[in-house]
Amino acid sequence: MDNHTPTRVELLQGTLDLLILRTLLAGPSHGHAIAKHIQRTSEDLLQVETGSLYPALHRLEAKGWIGASWNLSDKGKRARYYRLTALGRRQLVNEQSKWQAFARAMGLILNPVDEEGQ
Amino acid sequence: MTSFLRKFRWLTRRSDKEAELQAELQFHLEEEARERQAEGLAAEEARHAARRELGNIALVQEDTRATWTWTFGEQLVQDVRYGLRTIAANKTFSAMAILSLALGIGANTAIFSFMDSILLRSLPVRDPQSLVLLSWHTPRPEFHGSDHHDDDYNDPKGGYIGGAFSYPAFELLQKSDPAFSSVFGYQGAGKLTLSFRGQADVANTEYVSGGYFEGLGTQPAVGRLVGPDDDRAGAPPVAVISYALSERRFGGPANAAGQSILIDNLPFTVAGVTPREFFGADPDLPPDVYVPMHANLILQSEDRRYPPARRYFDPNFDWVEIMARLRPGVTPTQAQAVMAAPFYEWGRAAKPQVRPEEIPTLVVREGAGGLDGLRRRYSKPLYILLTLVGLILAIACANIANLLLARAAARRREIAVRLSIGAGRLRVIRQLLTESVLLAVVGGALGLGVALWGIRFLTLLLADGRENFTLRADLNWHVLGAVAALSLFTGMLFGLAPALQSTRVDLMPALKESRTGEARWRGFRRLSLSRILIVSQIAITLLIVVAAGLFVRTLSNLASIELGFNRDVLTFQLNARQAGHKDPEIVSFYNNLQRHFSAIPSVYSASLSHQLQIGMGTTATDVGLAGGAVKNSRMLSIGTGFFNTMQIPILLGRDIDEGDRSGSPMVAVVNEAFAKLCFDDRNPLGQHISLPRACENCDIEIVGIAANSLYGSLKGKMRPIAYLPFAQGALGPVQEMYYELRTAGNPLSYVSAVRDLVRRADDRLPVSEVKTQRAWIDETISQEIAFVRLCSAFAVLALAIACVGLYGTMSYNVARRTGEIGIRMALGAQRGRVLWMVLREVILLVAVGLAISLPAALAASKLLESFLFGMRPNDPRALAGSVVTLVSAAILAAYLPARSASRIDPMIALRQE
Repeated sequence: MDNHTPTRVELLQGTLDLLILRTLLAGPSHGHAIAKHIQRTSEDLLQVETGSLYPALHRLEAKGWIGASWNLSDKGKRARYYRLTALGRRQLVNEQSKWQAFARAMGLILNPVDEEGQ
Repeated sequence: MTSFLRKFRWLTRRSDKEAELQAELQFHLEEEARERQAEGLAAEEARHAARRELGNIALVQEDTRATWTWTFGEQLVQDVRYGLRTIAANKTFSAMAILSLALGIGANTAIFSFMDSILLRSLPVRDPQSLVLLSWHTPRPEFHGSDHHDDDYNDPKGGYIGGAFSYPAFELLQKSDPAFSSVFGYQGAGKLTLSFRGQADVANTEYVSGGYFEGLGTQPAVGRLVGPDDDRAGAPPVAVISYALSERRFGGPANAAGQSILIDNLPFTVAGVTPREFFGADPDLPPDVYVPMHANLILQSEDRRYPPARRYFDPNFDWVEIMARLRPGVTPTQAQAVMAAPFYEWGRAAKPQVRPEEIPTLVVREGAGGLDGLRRRYSKPLYILLTLVGLILAIACANIANLLLARAAARRREIAVRLSIGAGRLRVIRQLLTESVLLAVVGGALGLGVALWGIRFLTLLLADGRENFTLRADLNWHVLGAVAALSLFTGMLFGLAPALQSTRVDLMPALKESRTGEARWRGFRRLSLSRILIVSQIAITLLIVVAAGLFVRTLSNLASIELGFNRDVLTFQLNARQAGHKDPEIVSFYNNLQRHFSAIPSVYSASLSHQLQIGMGTTATDVGLAGGAVKNSRMLSIGTGFFNTMQIPILLGRDIDEGDRSGSPMVAVVNEAFAKLCFDDRNPLGQHISLPRACENCDIEIVGIAANSLYGSLKGKMRPIAYLPFAQGALGPVQEMYYELRTAGNPLSYVSAVRDLVRRADDRLPVSEVKTQRAWIDETISQEIAFVRLCSAFAVLALAIACVGLYGTMSYNVARRTGEIGIRMALGAQRGRVLWMVLREVILLVAVGLAISLPAALAASKLLESFLFGMRPNDPRALAGSVVTLVSAAILAAYLPARSASRIDPMIALRQE
């Protein structure tokens, strides 16, 4: 219907943290894999800038939401793996429900039911 | 909180974190490249693509790093780094600033640590705050021989303060239960001979009452200390020795306890050793040996004039110095009030011969610092030194403020840029302050090194050769705290004004200035702060230079004093009485030694006397003349050849010779002042005198007249002296004697020959106080010498700092006025005129500084009056010399910038615009 489906979307301020936490829910992962996962899962709509990924990872680590340790990657190389901490898990639940409320509100305003239906 | 701790932990392993981040990003690149390669790119291309995708690595690192620390800390680190870079970039400026600060802070620290140890620190005993020192006061100034602890003195407020009590008074005070929990006494016994395993040495000895150690609350290092049971007549003789002596003579405290020693040839047992830090009640005179007070019954049994047994009953013989411990909650004033009446009543009853209004009253003073002789002697010099070094620090601060001001002006453009791109004014001030505090901290750290060196130097100066000098100034925590506070304070002080001034800029004109720094000369107004700083520097420097000038003149006055005798003789003391020699053999023993000493090759002559011309005091007594008149004169008991050895000319009559022995008619040689005092214009030869106090029935004939000479004090007049043959014993039994040897070459090179001869004559006899008469004299003026050296050094320092400031400011001004001067010269100004224009400004500033300072210097020099000799405080030569020195130094400092101003090439200067 829309001719101009965007190929990329800019990440909204503050959403990267949430995406990282959500990605790590699946299990520990290193920075590159996290970026790729977000990109793939969002069907390439979301492109994570490396320039903001690593500061974000370190910021989350400083806050204690994620932990980091050096492990061997599946290719046998040393990589810094991040995992979700209990604190991070709580934060994720919190943020997720906030975001869902926000997304629903946005949807309600942008796509009013009466116009769209029938 | 956890986040705070985590960041803090990271701060400590920052380089690890850095490496980790590096590795993490590297892994990212490899992973990305591998993926691209899998998509079909060539290896090289894949790597480039990965790099492109990552973007600016440094920026990523910077942003990531920012999450590790706090903003404030980060900014501080930034400021410090920037500051360090600025310091490193301006090497000359920074070196000058840091050096002057290091010297200023170091000098202050050294002096302060001495103040701390002399004026502020307490005795190393239990609860020093409850100790009080007892003394008495009488309205009548009275002459007393000085005691060992220097505790008697004329009260500046009138009357006389006595530090020693009679034994009956001591017993009375011990009963003063309501005020004191304990009262204990002591008396300096002077230098006694201590022999251990056949080796004799002199030891500074203290008589202490039975309650002394208990009252002070001192615990023994080894063994036990003197207690009440030791301090009674007939108790077994025991001694307690100092920790230092135990190490020096016994190989450690553990070996000393229980040893038998001889004190003045009498057997004593070492009961115990005092703790290492203990030095008795007088920090200036630490005893080596403590013996019970009643030991004087045996040690001084031969004192016929004041037999020790009589001392315990005579209420008019003052000899016991007393300290007491206040009961909890009692103040010294209360104790004094409580004891006033009983003490006065006792005085009325015990001293019926004293008029009621002159009965001594009790004085109770704080005793935490020990006896105050030391404080009295050093506190004023130290306050003066502290003032001087404080002033120097002020000059250094003014200097750095001025340099910073000049530099801040040069940085106006930089600061304007910072302000205009959004830096807050506070942020910029903070950054400038960080720079100056950084300077101060570096200066303070170096100053600590200067202080350590200075303390060692000052200790040497104050101790002037005494081995057992107890004043150990060191860098303790309050001294270090003071240094830290001083550094930060000075950093703020000299940094704040320039920082405030330089951030208060009008942005637009500042930005429009050319990069080279345009001349913006608006006369006096613009640099008024810098001018005020220079004027005050000049004013302060003059104060210091005047002080130094006065001291230098004092020292040269002292050095050029006409002594009336030869000061290059070797002197030493022997005490044959303490070694066990008795009358009348002791006289021939001393005479034989004199003959042996005279026979040493290249010794011209040798003699002996009971005191030195200038050394440890004098003897004075009344002289009875025919017709009943009584005069007072100084006395010196001498051996034969004394005038020859000391090179005091005999003007009339004869010298004392070997015929003047015990039993032959008593004779005296007197000096001119004596002849003038007693006989006016009559011929003194053949006149007869008596000594009503010292030797009631002596009939002494005057056989010779000697030239005047100084005796006792270097600063006194040529006083009347009567020289009496010691063999005739007119001044009492022979005790210790000083020998004088006039020699070829260095007098000290004969010391080993002397020691050999003495050992052969009697191996129990120690040779003590070996030095030249010149050294004795230098010791009496050692404080002046130390003072002059320090003050001269301080004056040079102050001059140097002030001149550096003047030079820096003037050359900076000249650089800023290059354009203006170029125009003047293009319009025809002569080089001489330009030179004069710059110099005139400096001379004006110096003149203003002098005008402010001269009256202050005149007033301040009055404070120094008691340190001056042979001159008045407003000595015109010292003042004129100081002014000339200062003005020439200032002109010298300004000449270089002035000359470079006069060499400005107008064409080059104008093209710069």
